[in-house]
Order: sequence, then C-alpha cells, then structure tokens
Amino acid sequence: MSQPIVKEYALPRDIAISTLQAGKGAPVIFIHGAGGLMWDPFLDALSERHTVIAPFLPGTGASRGLENIRDMWDLVVTYQDLLDAIGHDKVDLIGHSMGGMIAFELAAAESSRVRKIAAIAPAGLFSEDHPIPDFFAMLPEDLIAHLVYDKDSPLAKLMMAMPDDLEEKVSFIIERMTISAAAAKFLWPIPDRGLKRRLHRVKAPTLMLWGKQDRLIPVAYAEDFKRGIPDARIEIIDRAGHMVQLEQMEQSLKIVGGFLGPDRR
Amino acid sequence: MPYRNLPPDFEQRYPSVWVTVPRTLYDPAEGHRLYHQYLDELEYGIDCGYDAVGVNEHHQNAYGLMPSPNLMGSILARKVRHAPNTALMVLGNSIALYNPPVRVAEEMAMLDVLTGGKFIGGFPVGTSMDTNFCYGVNPAEMRDRYNEAHELIIKAWTSEEPFTFNGKYTQLRYVNTWPRPMQTPHPRIWIPGGGSVETYDFAINNNYSFSYLSFFGYRYAKKVMDPFWQRARELGADMNPYRAGYAQLICVSETDARAQTDYEQHVRYFFSKCLHIHPPFLDAPGYRTPATLRAGLRAQIQSAESATTLLKEGKLDWNGLIERGFVVAGSPATVRDRMLEAARDLNAGNILLLNHVGSMPHHLTLKNMQMFAEEVMPALRRESPFAKWDSSPYWPAALSGARAQGV
Repeated sequence: MSQPIVKEYALPRDIAISTLQAGKGAPVIFIHGAGGLMWDPFLDALSERHTVIAPFLPGTGASRGLENIRDMWDLVVTYQDLLDAIGHDKVDLIGHSMGGMIAFELAAAESSRVRKIAAIAPAGLFSEDHPIPDFFAMLPEDLIAHLVYDKDSPLAKLMMAMPDDLEEKVSFIIERMTISAAAAKFLWPIPDRGLKRRLHRVKAPTLMLWGKQDRLIPVAYAEDFKRGIPDARIEIIDRAGHMVQLEQMEQSLKIVGGFLGPDRR
Repeated sequence: MPYRNLPPDFEQRYPSVWVTVPRTLYDPAEGHRLYHQYLDELEYGIDCGYDAVGVNEHHQNAYGLMPSPNLMGSILARKVRHAPNTALMVLGNSIALYNPPVRVAEEMAMLDVLTGGKFIGGFPVGTSMDTNFCYGVNPAEMRDRYNEAHELIIKAWTSEEPFTFNGKYTQLRYVNTWPRPMQTPHPRIWIPGGGSVETYDFAINNNYSFSYLSFFGYRYAKKVMDPFWQRARELGADMNPYRAGYAQLICVSETDARAQTDYEQHVRYFFSKCLHIHPPFLDAPGYRTPATLRAGLRAQIQSAESATTLLKEGKLDWNGLIERGFVVAGSPATVRDRMLEAARDLNAGNILLLNHVGSMPHHLTLKNMQMFAEEVMPALRRESPFAKWDSSPYWPAALSGARAQGV
C-alpha cells in the first residue's frame, strides 16, 4: 500500500480539516462513515487512477472545530469551504454510509461543484418499513455482525482488534468513542436530517453501490434513493454487507472505477 | 422508587431495566399501590423529622418510577409547608430535557411558593439513558444545552424585568416567569453528579452543593469525593462539608444478624435487577468528555472485577456487600458508627438516605425509617463532626438549624 500524504486546510470559523491524499488524476473526494477514516486498500487502488482526497470529519483525526458546526447545514458549509480551499472547480464524490449522506447534501447544496457521485451504502433516509438499527447501542460483536457479511473474515477480526497494553487500550477506546461522538452529532438519535426534502437537487449522475446482505442500511434503501434522485443507478454485490468496498474490493473497484471513468476534464 | 414486581428471572430474560424494559411488565393496579405507599413513606419521613424528603427523575425505567418528579413533589408540598424541620428536595429536574427550560423555573418556583420556601432544586445533567436514549438529546450537545438551560433558569428567577433570550437552543422573546420563587435570590440548588470532572467545577464555581449519587456507597464514593475536594482546594473554596453529599443504602434492624434476615433479599433484588442496564445505554458517544473517560477507563479496565460484575455474578455475600460499603446495614449502633466514619472520610455533611431498597415491602421500609429516625439520627446529630460549619448556604433559610441528613 502506498503512503498517503497528510494535508491540512485552515477554514473560516476556526475549523481545520486534515486530509489524506494520494494519487494522480481527476480529483475524487472520499467522505468516510461513522467508523472514522483509515487509508485502506480500496482507497489505495483508487489512487492509481485518481487523486484521492479523504478528509477527516471535524472532531476526528486531526480535524478541528466540531464545536463550531452545529448541524448538517453548517457541515455542508464546512465542506464547501474545504472545496474552495482545495481549489478544484469540480470534483467527484465517493461517500460511504454517513459519508454518503454528506456527499448527497453537498451535491444538493451546490450541484455545479460535483461531477459524479458514487454513494456506497449511503445513510440519509429513514424508513420505518426497513429501519436502520441503533448501531450506537450495540455491543461490539453485535455491531460487527451488522457491518460485515462474514463475521469470521480477516476484515471482521481486524475490526474487532484492540491493543493489549493498558495505556494503548485506553487511548484506543477513547479514540473510538471520539469518532463515534463526532458522527453521532449528525446521526443522533435517528440518521435522518431531512435529506429527502433535498434529493431532487442532486443533479450529478449518481451510482449507488450496495452489499446485498447489508444488515445496517438495508439494500431496500437503494430504491428509496433512486426514486428521489434524477439521474441514479444501483449496483448490488452479493456476499457483501455494509463494508462492501472492502468485503468485495475487486468488484467494487470495477464498478466504481468504470462509473467514474477516465479523466475527462 | 422501584417497581417491586419484576419477575425472578428478569435479568436473564431481558437486556435492560432501563430504556427498553418492556412496558407489559408494568401493572397499573400494582403501580397505583406502589405510588401511594412510596408517598406514605415520604410523608412518614416528614413526620420523623428528616431534614428533607426527596424525589428524582428517571424515564422508561423500572427502578425509578418518576418521569415527572415535580408531580410527586407537589403532592408532598402540602405537608412540607407545615413541617418545621423538613425541606422538599427535587433532585432533580434534568434541565436539558425541559423545552423550554423556563418550565423548570416556573414549576420549581411553584414548589418553592407552595412549600413556603422550604424547597431545594436539583439540576442533574441526567444519565445517558434518560437524556440521550429516552429523550433523544444529542450527546454532543448535552452539556452545552445544560449550561444554556441553567443560565436561562437563573436569569428567569432573578430578573425583575422581562427579557429576551436568544440562545443556541432556546429563543424566547419575552421571559417573565410567574410565580417568583419565595427564596432569595432563588431556591437553593444542588447538583447531583455521577463523576464527570466538569460537574465539580460547575458546582464549586456556582457554590451549589454537590452530591455524588451512586449506589455503591461511601467507600466507592471516595473515588469521586477526593477529587472533588482536591478541586475545591484548587479553586479556593472552603472545606464546608455541606458543600457535598453522597447517597447510601441504609438498612437498620434490631441486630446485625436481624438486618440480614430482614433486608438481604431486597438488597439483592436491587443490585441484580435495578442496575441491570444494557451497557451501551450507560454512555452514548460524547456523553462523557475525553477527560472524564480517561479518568475512569484506566481504573475500570484495571480492576480485576468491577463492582457490577461481582454483583451480577452473585460473587458477593451479605458481608461482602457490607465490607465494600455498598450497603450500611445492622443494628442502630453499627449503622451509626459506619455513617460517622463515612461522613468523616468523605467530609460530606449531606447524606442522601436510601431507606427503601429494591423489593422492600412497605412495612419494612417504615421499620427501617423509624429505627433510623429514633435510634440513629439523634446520635448522628449529637456526634456530628461538622457542628462548627454553617449549612445555611446550601439549605433553605426557612428551616432553622438544618443539619446533616436528608432522605
């Protein structure tokens, strides 16, 4: 795996966003989910054909200023400020889970800024018919079972791992809780911030990628999104859960890469 | 104020006594009986001459049956107004849950006026179960909402003119609450806390009395009270013991052996059922700050077996419960000695007595209260190590010579 560089942007209102960046080519902004950002093989592979810029949500990693971001609207403004600071006129967005919700909100707010959107099991809608379970109230084993198709896979084991040393364990747990707390700011108590009222403003061609066995955000939501977005298509991968891009990486890369296409700026 | 009829296998069958405890387990006819027995007990406490009788707030909970403590407080207010020695304590309103927070200012002012100024208002932040999971408050906003609510309530109580409040969470064009409280500048405020380090500063800086409310008694309370006094010293506050309080399960009987016969099963009901909480509910992400987490996590991971685990796995016998101070139980002499020892050790002048525990039936609670009031309390008052301190900054002026204990 290549080592991404860390680049920080100072934004208005005492907010600073730290990003991981790697690659060459058309810019793709990867917006991570409620578990936080890690540079993983999926992002690495993407960076072979794109410039991947992955911002840490304020309140996670080295990004600061969460206390100055009150709600989803403030968060969208923050990402607009970030795009100004990065300096690209038009970008592609890839959003996973909560990151998908943010990507859609950003695209709805400023459609001219976004070329294409790949939403991987995005959050943002809530239906009582197929509710998203309360992942903040799950014990670790239960949460993993809701995140991955195969709880005995190396990925699942990696996600459950914890340091042995006491001090490291304490720091690790605190980091996990800090990331959850930042995500909870935008997802609590139900992950619905009203995106349904704005979906029609998502003008960019949109791909929705879903794991067929996603137990966290059920695949039924794909149709709910498709109904609201003017130009959207769905791709479903079998034997994959909520972490589809890591559980079935080859297929995911093919679909997302094919959708984003070569650099055509 | 628990529901006393949970099934014997409750904690095996259901994941939590709080938040998701099945409503179908509550029998309103039983609930009717329980409410009035508990009110009888609290009124008895007034007759016994306790310094205060108290109610608190919990939601969706089978061990705390008062989602609205102010309703219960209002029932007791009619008797408190004639009580020479007893205050009404609402400990308290989770102020961030009241929308708008002026509701707290209004209702507590009503209680203050109804009791003739014998009212103490508590402002807990509230448990994560109550605030984040039952009432949906975003954990990231909890403390901020609490601070803003506090600011608004104090201003509402003390402002002579109507004012506008353009807050982050509450916007009101005209704040002008009626009635005005009887106490000046406002009712005494107590802060019940669970060990968040931010709460110490808040209580000390505002000169509110801080009470550590855990169910694990005085030995365990040291972990919180020692840092509290440390912080008080750092902030230049005096060591007035009435600045602090703690909660204690108390079981008085004729002899130490008799106390076990009388009370053990009810204490076990309490610890095995009433504290059976689905662990993620205890701590929504962001409910506790990194500072508080760090302070607590190390100890929690390190201790071979936490208090709750020991209790859950039934590894503590009656003497074990007493040795650890989870319950102070025994003859009047035993209870008196333990309590004096605890008061000195914690420098806590206010003791929140939990005379009813778990499944304790009405007649036993009355026995417990009467024995405490007649055979322990006088000795505690007589032998109080805190006689030279003035409790009046923390107790209503309408009560003369307020002393150590509370219920």
